[in-house]
Amino acid sequence: MNIKINHIAKIEGHTGFMASVIRGDVKSAKFEVQEGIRLIEGILIGREYKDMPVIAQRICGICPVVHNLTAIKAIENAMKVEVTPETEKLRRVMEHAQFIHSHALHLFFLSLADFLDIENDLQLVKEYPEQTKMAVKIREYGMELIKIIGGRVVHPLTNEVGGFKKVPTIEELQALIIKGQETLPIALELAAFFKTIKTPNFSRPTEYVCLKTKGEYAIYDGDVTSNKGLFVDVQKFEENFHEFQRPKEIVKRVMRDGKTSYMVGAIARVNNNAEKLSYEAREYLKSLNFNMPDYNPFHNVLYQMVEIVHCVEDSIQLLKELTHADLEKAITKKYVVREGSAAAAVEAPRGTLYYWVDIDPKGYIKNVNIISPTAQFLTHLEDDIAAFIPGIIEKDEKAMERKMRAFIRAYDPCISCAVH
Amino acid sequence: MKIDINMDENVLITDASQETKKPKIAIVSLTSCEGCQFALLDLGEKFLEAMDQVEMVDFRLLEDEGDAGEPIDIGFVEGNPMTAANKKTLMELRKRSKLLVVIGNCAAMGGIPEIRNYHEKQQTVKHVYKYIQGIETEEVQEVDNFVKVDFTFPGCPITGEEFLKYFPILLANVKGEGELPTIPDSPVCVECKKKGNRCLLLDKKPCFGPMILGGCDAVCPTSRMGCQGCRGLRPTGNVKAMKMTLKTMMTDEEFENTTEIYGLKDDIEDWESDHKEK
Repeated sequence: MNIKINHIAKIEGHTGFMASVIRGDVKSAKFEVQEGIRLIEGILIGREYKDMPVIAQRICGICPVVHNLTAIKAIENAMKVEVTPETEKLRRVMEHAQFIHSHALHLFFLSLADFLDIENDLQLVKEYPEQTKMAVKIREYGMELIKIIGGRVVHPLTNEVGGFKKVPTIEELQALIIKGQETLPIALELAAFFKTIKTPNFSRPTEYVCLKTKGEYAIYDGDVTSNKGLFVDVQKFEENFHEFQRPKEIVKRVMRDGKTSYMVGAIARVNNNAEKLSYEAREYLKSLNFNMPDYNPFHNVLYQMVEIVHCVEDSIQLLKELTHADLEKAITKKYVVREGSAAAAVEAPRGTLYYWVDIDPKGYIKNVNIISPTAQFLTHLEDDIAAFIPGIIEKDEKAMERKMRAFIRAYDPCISCAVH
Repeated sequence: MKIDINMDENVLITDASQETKKPKIAIVSLTSCEGCQFALLDLGEKFLEAMDQVEMVDFRLLEDEGDAGEPIDIGFVEGNPMTAANKKTLMELRKRSKLLVVIGNCAAMGGIPEIRNYHEKQQTVKHVYKYIQGIETEEVQEVDNFVKVDFTFPGCPITGEEFLKYFPILLANVKGEGELPTIPDSPVCVECKKKGNRCLLLDKKPCFGPMILGGCDAVCPTSRMGCQGCRGLRPTGNVKAMKMTLKTMMTDEEFENTTEIYGLKDDIEDWESDHKEK
């Protein structure tokens, strides 16, 4: 039996999926990526470093903030540019905002219908009008944060190497705090609703990877960690995770030590860093009654909900601190352009996003590498589906296809990021 | 799929007699970051209200069901027709649409991917891929090289509010009421001044505002980011004068490199060959 999904809707980018099953044995389970190749890394070579965050953020229309930030951080590491605590704090708020609006879009509008056996979002909106409003409100808070601090939601403008071109006013920050305080109870209410959805049983213990840092739930910064005891500096990322291309494939694969697939994203972060979540997020996580460590990727959707609560709660705190800070200190100061190469990583909504850049003495890019979360988990997703299929084999191929689509969407893949 | 939601009362109207009168539209995505679709979705209720006026036949970002390929009134296309499959999708969309409307810089001007046209191609591909056999990397071309385009929403990404402004005019046009809209030939500077911004050029910061088509609410200069021309040259934009102004702020090479980012370079070359001093 061949199960072929020509085009998976409700994910970002274009891909199909093909699985071949013979007498209950899964012979292959593989994505058939249909994305055009933009060669982002190739076109950056020979360009001035300042163009890199502007171009690289255009890899993805959902998560431009994280591409922009990781590019900036890699350049700052390479040229040894220091930024102020005020700059870092503003960037952290933007990261939180990116999680809030990306997760809210995915868990409600892209994934939820799968768990309620609803065919399309129209019906979803009709049957759950109150929850729809909540999801829209939560997204709006995330978008407003990026709009005020970044200047625009899709492809923000103010963030640059060394700091910010422009900073928000205290009044704008105060208005955002109020909006955040209004959003927190809404997030908790939607979170309570998500507790009632039924997710399929599945578990396949593997390596779950994310950033980790002292004193906070790692999103903006940290070392690379895993549930299998890995703990290395981001500069050593490529020594532990190998990116390669299989002939005729346009999406690159990333494997632990070149051999094993691994998982990234909300589920990996909550597994590895749960104790650092904000108070409300920890309480909500407890109420889910999941056994940790949890290796059921369907729960990724609920862990995204945990992270929304965390990011809303924590962003309010960060904004409050910023109202007492001298924001002029976040404005970019003069720095020295110099030769160097370095890596940087942040947690993107879908997992660890890694950049490496090599810059010449005049500030032109000699080499660059970008490893997106989806490129990292794509092989793990194929391996998971291969393990999932034997448990869902039935006569009705359409029903099987629906279950596979639900699984794929729970991962929240972004094919535009994977093939960049 | 029929998007027909009244967010205020939370009711879904599925009255078939109403729908038959509504224009049919599709929003289709080629190779891109899909950010223009998000610029629309991010309008929230305003977008849903606008969609109240139409029957949505295809919008893959929100629906699982395929569409039947019926004739439609307006086909919106985002992204670059880079692959053979993209080109086929574009041709089919043109064939079934009364109006074909381009959304965003990738479709309109080639966008970020077009940078590769200015580089040595093999090298660019080889930098990214070890095995280049079977990798499609043709020259990047704008949508209007393949099909007739009736209207363009420019920008990287498009401006949501501008979409809302011209969308009703496009709908009226397919109903036989009124002409196609035209974006006024006005520079980014007009909106920038209205916002009370200090001109970046006065601070010797390069900005293409004077030669670029306005309508973006001067979003970049308002964030102290110089305009890099994602909306394209305005009809009476003066490249020569712009270059003179920028001479003290950037080298010719820097100017040229910056015009590569949003596919402006080929348009500038065309302008210069049209305006050669005789």
